[in-house]
Amino acid sequence: MTALFWLAAALFGIGLFGMMARRSLLFQLLSMEVMLAGPALAFVAAGAARGDAQGQGMFVLILVLAAAEVGIGLSLYLRLSRIADVSDVDTISDLKG
Amino acid sequence: MIPALTVYHLLLLVPAPALAAFMVLGLAPVFLHRRLVMLIALAGGTAPLLAMTGMMGLCLTGQCRGVAPIFTLQVGTAIVDLALLLDPLSMITGMTVTLIGACVLIYSIDYMAGAKTADLRRFFALMNLFLAAMLAMVLAGDSIVYFLGWEMMGLCSFFLIAYNVFSDPAVAAGRKAFIMSRIADALLLGGLLLLFIAAGSVRIDALIAAGLALPEGQRTVIALLLLGGALGKSAQLPFHTWLPSAMAGPTPVSALLHSATMVAAGAYLMARFAPLLAASPDVMLVMAVGGALTAAFGSMTAIFQSDVKRLLAFSSISQIGFMLLALGVGAPAAAMAHFVTHALFKSLLFLAAGDIAHSAGDDTSIAAMKGAASRRPLAFAAFTIGAASLSGLPLVTAGWWSKEEVLDAVLGSGGAGRALWVLALLTAVMTAIYAFRPVLIALKPGPVDAHPHTPGLATRIPLVLLGFGSLTGGLLVGPVIRLLGGVHPEMPAYSVVVAALAPLTGLAISWQLSRSPQLADWLAARRLLRQGLQIDVLYQAWFVQPFQRLVDRLSGVHGTTPDPFGAAPVTMMLWLKRQLIDRFRSDGFDSGWMALAGTATPLWAVARRSQSGRARDAVMALAGGTAGLLLLGWMTA
Amino acid sequence: MSLIALILLPLLGGVAALFAARLGNNAERWLSVGVLGIGLVVLVAACLGGSPDPRWLAFSRTPWAPSLGVQLLFAVDGLSAAMLALSLGLGMVAVFTSWQTNENSGLFHAALLWTVAASNGVFMSFDLLVLAFFWELMVVPSFLLIALWGHGAREASAMKFLIFNAVAGLGLLGAVFWLGASAPIVTFDAFELAKLARPAGVQTWLLAGFALAFVVKLSVPPFHAWLPDAHTDAPTAGSILLAGLLLKTGAYGLFRFPAMLFPEGYLALAPVGLVLGSVGALYGAVMACGQTDAKRLVAYTSVAHMSIVLMGVSGGVHFALMGAAVEMVGHAFSASLLFFLIGAVYDRVGTRDLRDLGGLQRTAPRFAAVFALGFSAVLAMPGTANFLGEALVITGMFQVNWIYAAIVLTALVVSVVYATRLLKEVVFGEPGPKPVTQDLGSRELSIAVVLGSATLLFGLLPQLLMTPFTPAVDAVLASLEAVRR
Repeated sequence: MTALFWLAAALFGIGLFGMMARRSLLFQLLSMEVMLAGPALAFVAAGAARGDAQGQGMFVLILVLAAAEVGIGLSLYLRLSRIADVSDVDTISDLKG
Repeated sequence: MIPALTVYHLLLLVPAPALAAFMVLGLAPVFLHRRLVMLIALAGGTAPLLAMTGMMGLCLTGQCRGVAPIFTLQVGTAIVDLALLLDPLSMITGMTVTLIGACVLIYSIDYMAGAKTADLRRFFALMNLFLAAMLAMVLAGDSIVYFLGWEMMGLCSFFLIAYNVFSDPAVAAGRKAFIMSRIADALLLGGLLLLFIAAGSVRIDALIAAGLALPEGQRTVIALLLLGGALGKSAQLPFHTWLPSAMAGPTPVSALLHSATMVAAGAYLMARFAPLLAASPDVMLVMAVGGALTAAFGSMTAIFQSDVKRLLAFSSISQIGFMLLALGVGAPAAAMAHFVTHALFKSLLFLAAGDIAHSAGDDTSIAAMKGAASRRPLAFAAFTIGAASLSGLPLVTAGWWSKEEVLDAVLGSGGAGRALWVLALLTAVMTAIYAFRPVLIALKPGPVDAHPHTPGLATRIPLVLLGFGSLTGGLLVGPVIRLLGGVHPEMPAYSVVVAALAPLTGLAISWQLSRSPQLADWLAARRLLRQGLQIDVLYQAWFVQPFQRLVDRLSGVHGTTPDPFGAAPVTMMLWLKRQLIDRFRSDGFDSGWMALAGTATPLWAVARRSQSGRARDAVMALAGGTAGLLLLGWMTA
Repeated sequence: MSLIALILLPLLGGVAALFAARLGNNAERWLSVGVLGIGLVVLVAACLGGSPDPRWLAFSRTPWAPSLGVQLLFAVDGLSAAMLALSLGLGMVAVFTSWQTNENSGLFHAALLWTVAASNGVFMSFDLLVLAFFWELMVVPSFLLIALWGHGAREASAMKFLIFNAVAGLGLLGAVFWLGASAPIVTFDAFELAKLARPAGVQTWLLAGFALAFVVKLSVPPFHAWLPDAHTDAPTAGSILLAGLLLKTGAYGLFRFPAMLFPEGYLALAPVGLVLGSVGALYGAVMACGQTDAKRLVAYTSVAHMSIVLMGVSGGVHFALMGAAVEMVGHAFSASLLFFLIGAVYDRVGTRDLRDLGGLQRTAPRFAAVFALGFSAVLAMPGTANFLGEALVITGMFQVNWIYAAIVLTALVVSVVYATRLLKEVVFGEPGPKPVTQDLGSRELSIAVVLGSATLLFGLLPQLLMTPFTPAVDAVLASLEAVRR
């Protein structure tokens, strides 16, 4: 049980690290998927432990969320790839104060 | 409320025809043929005479005191009850006015023949309105109708003097006459309203009764106000200057309004309110002295005139002075007798002078009268009769009889009366001098007729009628005085003889003047005297110019500087705006807020560095922030 | 209820006129005339219908916002009825005078009808908040009339008109709020408020607030500066409404409310009114003598006559009050007549400069005849309602103090100077550089005849005005008498 939580935290940490460390937009999207997998695993594990179906219900919600996020993320990726270098997102810094 | 009709309601028929004629001529927006215009005017002008003759019949059969109420109205505690009044005074004055009015309107048919139809219509409309107004005033039994007639006469006078609207002098003369008489009218109105307050009624007898009951001081003030009104309307000193200028109007206007009837209305006013005035001896004295002075001044100025109409104007001033003199010594009957004869001979003089001037190409100067005796014998004869009556040649003329009454009344009043009598005698001498000057000049040979059409019947009838009246009118003097309740004072014989000699002396002097060219030249050279001591110029300098300067100062020449007083609140508000609002234009509160905002600038310079614009930094901040919050929650739990 | 119709009819009629203008065939004009005509019928019916209270010819009370103490409280007596009839009748005259105004005529007639509606509201409201509402409302449509259909510097004149009257209206509004709030139960019912006792000092201040609004509307110097400009630049119909209605609302207000609500304040401020009025009477008359614009000249005569009205209203005696009331009616007709005539001259030759005019006598005799009638009225010839009013005011002034009477008499003398000048420059003389070649048409002649004969009618049959005005005058005297004792 505790191990499963640790695994979920590790998944989230890996994803977060990927988000911060990788400069390529595509890899950042992948990392975000990994991050989402972390809490999803935690919900399932907690649900199984308490014998409550709500955990699995929350997992389905996260699946829908992830699918929507991928749809929006990929379309943004396509748009951005036409006007900027998506292999290095640090160059896209128009909001600099 | 309509009161029951009495026989006296027939009085309404006296002014009604003239008013109706005015309405048709002046107000109906339809085209009227020239002949129709004349016919209507004539009907309106003569019908009052017939109606008035009927009323005279009523009067002579002993029913000579009656009131015809028109309507009654309650105003607060006062009662306004309009009425017409028949008494000997209104009967005699009314008869005179209707007679002269009819004569002048008949004469006008011929005299105004040269005018365009539109102008003719305007002329006759106004003449008829005047007649209606004058009769309303004469027959008025209350102060409202009285003042209505009095003011309407002034209005007609203005329009008739300015009849020739294209002539600036005529219009200016009309304005002058209107403004000066309006000043007097304001005084009269004040007096009448004060009496109204005291009486609570507008009936003239009630006004007089209430006036007599007032304390001495108030009564004197009211009497003075009424006297002021009379002096203005009658062109007496110091209001006389409008009358000579008023001669700019057509001659029939001068004959009707500005000699015989309207200007004598002042005397009628004083006779109407005689009982009230008699209670104020000081005012009576002022009136007598003023009348005598005006008489002397007018006749003296008349001697120096070079224009017949102006001469006659000054003569009117002088003769009405006689009437006021008689009223001032307490003889209203004598004054009204003189009013009647004066109306007869003065209108005769004007009408004859008008005809003679026509024959000289509308030249009204005395010099242009040369040859009048041969050109227009009838008019010349009429003028001579008028002049004789004016100067009062003994026994044969109407003027002598009435003037004799006036002189006797003055002498009989004793005291200051003797001095005034001497002055009046002197005036009588001067009257004869100026009256006969044009006559004697007219006898001299002159040019032939410039306007060779024989005067028609319409000219001849009034001349003959009035000429007859000017000679035989003396027979009326006695009855008039008896009707008005006057008494003839017993006089020493010397006074009658002296009074009879005065006009003869004047005639002799006039004869001498006409024979000696040097004397005539001397007369012509006296400009100051001819212009009536230039009192006009003084008025111009004292009243007209200061007023003009006031107007110019307030509204600018030709209205350029607008209205200082009206601009005052605007200026004040603008000053307040400068003091209050403009001071906050560099808004203190605002700058406080701006300073506060300014301190945030360096803070902002630091904070902006955190905004790298890189998405990864934002993610890191989010993650760090969340981790921090979680840590905080865990530690504090 | 029928009294409310007197306001609603022109108000809704105005809205309808906006749309009727699209129909063509002068639909909006006939609509306006019809609405005003129906208004007159309604007025007559309401006055004949009787009311429970014998003091009033018609009375109506409708609750509106009871929690705020506001109600629709209308009452009509002889004075109100005369003013209402004047407002509806002159509204009709104004429609007829502007028969040829084509530019945006729907809005024009709407503004005209709204002005009538608002002044009708002023002439019969006895709920002070509603009165103040109509008081302010009145200014707006007249502002439009001047600003949109005027001549010359019309925007500036309209702004001046608006600022003067709106600012002065604040005095009324402030005093009304104070009054309403001071009552034990909040109310704006004038009859209720009149029953409450107040210290004299408070009354004086409240009256000052009321009087500011009324005196500015009455255009008594030194608050008259808006009037000559507004009159000069307003279209003829606007001038008629200004002279015939708006000035009269000021006079009406001064007549009705000060003595009723603040009798002690009235007695305290009456000398101020008398002095202001006498200064104004002379000042207006002298200013009129110096003008070169014919309309400005007549505007200043209005200033002089309204000052005389102020004197009459401040006199506090029967004659003076009656005189002021009669003068209100007389001036409405005489000033409208002169403004109409000068407007007709302006329509023909495009100038009102006295130096360029002249010769009407020769080129347009009918014009000249009617002008002479207006001339007689403006200088208060006996026989016109103006004379009746001024003579009564003079009589009253003699009872107050003879100096005031002397001043009105002097103003009467000066009136001859300006009136003869107007006549001389416009009617007499040779035709100027721009002669009037076209005489009055039948439409214009009938307007002039109506206005002129009204002046004469009320002058010759004074009981037509004085009998209906007596209750209003007596009411003022009664409330003053209660305090004097």
